[in-house]
Amino acid sequence: MMKKITSRREFLKKMAATSAMTAAAALFPGIVFAEEQIRNIRTSGNLEWKKAPCRFCGVGCGVLIGIENGKAVAVKGDPNSSVNKGLCCVKGYHQTICMYAKDRLTKPLVKKNGKYVETSMEEALDLVASKMKETIEKHGKDSVAMYTSGQSTIPEGYVASKFMKGAIGTNNLDCNARLCMASAVTGFLTTFGADEPMGCYEDIDHADVFITWGNNMAEMHPVLFSRMLDQRLKRGATIIDFATRTTRSSMASDRSILFNPQTDLAVANAIAYEIINNGWVNNQFIKEHCNFSKGLTNIGYGTEDKFKFKDEPTKIDFEQYKEFLNDYSPEKVSELSGVSIKDIKYLAAIYGDPNKKVVSFWCMGMNQHTRGTWINNLVYNIHLLTGKISQPGNGPFSLTGQPSACGTAREVGTFTHKLPHGVVMNKKHREHAAKIWKVPVERIPSKPTYHATEMFRALDRGDIKFIWTQVTNPMVSLPKVGRYTEGAKKEDRFIVVSDVFPTPTTDVADVILPAAWHIEKNGMFGNSERRTQYWDKMVDPPGEAMPDAWQTIEVARRMGYGELFPYSKEKHEEEIYNEYRQHHEGKKHNMAPLEVLKAQSGAMWPFVDGKETKWRYNVKYDPACDNGKDFHFYGKKDGKAIIWQRPYEAPAESPDEEYPFWLNTGRVIEHWHTGSMTRRIPVLHQAMPHSYVELHPDDAEKYSISNGQKVKVISRRGTTILPASVNERGLPTKGQVFVPFFDENMMINDVTLDAFCPISKEPDYKKCAVKIEKV
Amino acid sequence: MKRLFILFLLVILMIATIIVWSYSYQLSHEEAYVPVSNISETFIIPSEEGVFERSKYALEYAEMPLDKNHQRSLDSYYSNRAFYGAPPSIPHEVEERNMGANSCLKCHENGGYVSKYKAYSPVTPHPEKINCRQCHVPKKSNDLFVGTNWSRTKGSTIGNKALISSPPVIPHQIQLRENCLSCHAGPSAPKEIRTTHPNRINCRQCHVINDKKIKDIGIFKREKK
Amino acid sequence: MPIKSYLAHPCDGKYQQLLSDLSNITGCDIIPSENEEIAIVVTDTKDEFEDQKLQVKINSIKSLKMLSMVSGFDTNQQ
Repeated sequence: MMKKITSRREFLKKMAATSAMTAAAALFPGIVFAEEQIRNIRTSGNLEWKKAPCRFCGVGCGVLIGIENGKAVAVKGDPNSSVNKGLCCVKGYHQTICMYAKDRLTKPLVKKNGKYVETSMEEALDLVASKMKETIEKHGKDSVAMYTSGQSTIPEGYVASKFMKGAIGTNNLDCNARLCMASAVTGFLTTFGADEPMGCYEDIDHADVFITWGNNMAEMHPVLFSRMLDQRLKRGATIIDFATRTTRSSMASDRSILFNPQTDLAVANAIAYEIINNGWVNNQFIKEHCNFSKGLTNIGYGTEDKFKFKDEPTKIDFEQYKEFLNDYSPEKVSELSGVSIKDIKYLAAIYGDPNKKVVSFWCMGMNQHTRGTWINNLVYNIHLLTGKISQPGNGPFSLTGQPSACGTAREVGTFTHKLPHGVVMNKKHREHAAKIWKVPVERIPSKPTYHATEMFRALDRGDIKFIWTQVTNPMVSLPKVGRYTEGAKKEDRFIVVSDVFPTPTTDVADVILPAAWHIEKNGMFGNSERRTQYWDKMVDPPGEAMPDAWQTIEVARRMGYGELFPYSKEKHEEEIYNEYRQHHEGKKHNMAPLEVLKAQSGAMWPFVDGKETKWRYNVKYDPACDNGKDFHFYGKKDGKAIIWQRPYEAPAESPDEEYPFWLNTGRVIEHWHTGSMTRRIPVLHQAMPHSYVELHPDDAEKYSISNGQKVKVISRRGTTILPASVNERGLPTKGQVFVPFFDENMMINDVTLDAFCPISKEPDYKKCAVKIEKV
Repeated sequence: MKRLFILFLLVILMIATIIVWSYSYQLSHEEAYVPVSNISETFIIPSEEGVFERSKYALEYAEMPLDKNHQRSLDSYYSNRAFYGAPPSIPHEVEERNMGANSCLKCHENGGYVSKYKAYSPVTPHPEKINCRQCHVPKKSNDLFVGTNWSRTKGSTIGNKALISSPPVIPHQIQLRENCLSCHAGPSAPKEIRTTHPNRINCRQCHVINDKKIKDIGIFKREKK
Repeated sequence: MPIKSYLAHPCDGKYQQLLSDLSNITGCDIIPSENEEIAIVVTDTKDEFEDQKLQVKINSIKSLKMLSMVSGFDTNQQ
């Protein structure tokens, strides 16, 4: 804010403007003059600001990137974006610096005799296409696979889906969103029949209480958390942190309630029990809008290869559900979960109070869970029992981790079982996709093949011989990653990796294709609140780096599928988006046209008749509701949501005598995921140079470990050495350790377990058993 | 008849006495027991808690008017610190008897205008440390015992943004300075570092620490396997 | 050199029209509000005479309902 005042006149003009602004603020409290935020930046005069969504988390802040002479020199929040209103977080503010890292990939590299040789892009693409063709001829369609990302843009995900399912005809397409949001998706589908949250970020401006279930919002969705803090300051809202360890969010919240790992299932049921037994159930709502079901129990953990599971729902009624919940009274749950009876009743009373608007937020704590689908169902149960759903400030909100896990992975459907509209198992959906893709419907296979973890297991076994990864770093982010790294290095496997920087995944690649970063290509992302945002290409990629979508299109053309990909190089993203929109036509999912996305900071879907649907399923706000009642859960055939009876089941691996500690993994605010981008930003690297293991002070004392000392973390799968952190950023409970996973040199995924939720196939990164040793 | 009645009353009284006495005798056998409660001695993550500490005043900070005549600058801030990061010496007279605690906190916990010194009292970022005189000493004389070659180097403070629009990094350690608002907001803040947005209380969302611990750790380089 | 600032209220529904009319007049800076129908006008003229002329010009805009002065400075004072 240090603008150089060039003269007394300038100064007086500024004073005059300021006093006018004050007067205006007195007349219209909350008035905004967006210009004043823009005015004070010193520039060379050549600076142009262009809008884009942020490259990082699922909040999807709008940013303005300052471009000067073909270089990105500045980033600031877009004051016109309703998501963040001009505020970013430290990663967002510095995101463009990573583009200029010294070891950025600029030329394709091909492995010849154990060494990487630079080639031209044409040669590399030829090699990829020929190898893919060869593998399909020798071993069949299902021996090739593609692994994309929740950080791929919508065009990138769309062409990958069309290529694998429409052109080649295999369902071997999955993405890293399987590792973060799959349980949220199956939670939505089992309870509501349709994916993605029914509320929007405006809920924050209306809610009275925010309850966060196992997520550290102050570091992981910081801008949303700041909005919540703002509401607390101005409206007296309450923030309650319900988690397994004490974090920055716990410090900022009004109350921090800790529970034992995995017992969130029991506590959620206990809250439901309290709501029913205290007469806080919204009986009218349940009668009109809810059915009851239960599924199978003892469903396993997926640690074996070729694990298969299919749930069998049976209908039950309210009385049976009440009977089931008798095992989950607060008194019985208190001992198991470590939550006092008073706290369980406190939480239940908040949900049960009809005059309090409650928003529940959650992310990886509930999704990366061996019963992830179940716990998602259980929190929806609480909101359905009290009727607190689909209203401003009242409802469950499943936050997304990656910037476009909603927009690309879930909406375009880059999963083994999904199509842009619907699933491969459904004939009508296949016909719908085949019509728009202009392919014969028999080509789209009807059986899903491998989910992410199983895909890399298949690569290890040899069932998959060719895999192409884009915009992701599986050799750092997969659980029990040691097995998959070794598997990828085996003979007769061909790995193609498209990435911006060298990573442990490019270390196992046979062909490395340099990719364009975020603002070096046109693109669209879709954030947690169903908002699709568009950005223009702002700078040219260096060397031969090419947008991933165009790489896929070039390979597809070389394999003879040119007629399916008739897009132009300059405008392929636009053309692809216009084709993609056709899959979602209709009031339930219509995507906004590109002109709208270009003119404003994104638009939420369903975009019907020029208006965004902010609260779905509520007839007051959603034009797709047509059953004549006040709520219509149109994802299900009878318009009713399902309240699921789900029990508590123990985790896959609990601490025992030999391995007495819980291992929890997660992130820190400074680094994004595997750190390939953020560690190359000096400010962020210097703020958090390396990973660490958090210990409780009493445990540290028992093992004579002091802060910063090296500790070996050992599990049945592997080991890694990290410096200890005692009482610094976060405080685990006694008998628990926490490690952030951004550091490829301290690979904590060597230690984690690849157990997953049998319904969603999402691995549980938050719970396994380890022991620690002083080094 | 009357005799029978009195006897009956006496028997009732006798039974009552026996019951009450044996009940109280039984109760007296209960062991005195006070359950032992374990009080944890650890402060919970002070670096994370401190940033939110004065946050309930954040809106008031935002609405405080600017008193241009009495504000400090970084020069005056550094004038009573021996070097970058040193504890400031006390520029006014103090009572000798105590270690600090309330007699310092009564002005320095919440600040305020002091007409005697025509200045706003600085707010301490670490009010929980009450042995103030352990680190902060008054200046009792102006001359030196013996000349010295030591002179102070300028510390790096403002002007540390990565991009022209970035939020500046935190160039100092967080320990003892967990609470941002105490030095960066309000009328006692040096004008160069006073924040324009004290009401955004999650400061560490945008401002991260770049305190070069002993030497500059440089940029990220991949380790050769 | 008078420097004055005003709040400009548009006639109902004429906010955009007002903004474009004001931008056609030289000698005044406009700061429109993003979320209310009101704009700040800062004028900077050579002398009182010019200032009066500018005021008349602004007041004659049809889409302007009311122009209320907030502050004024005369930089001629030394």
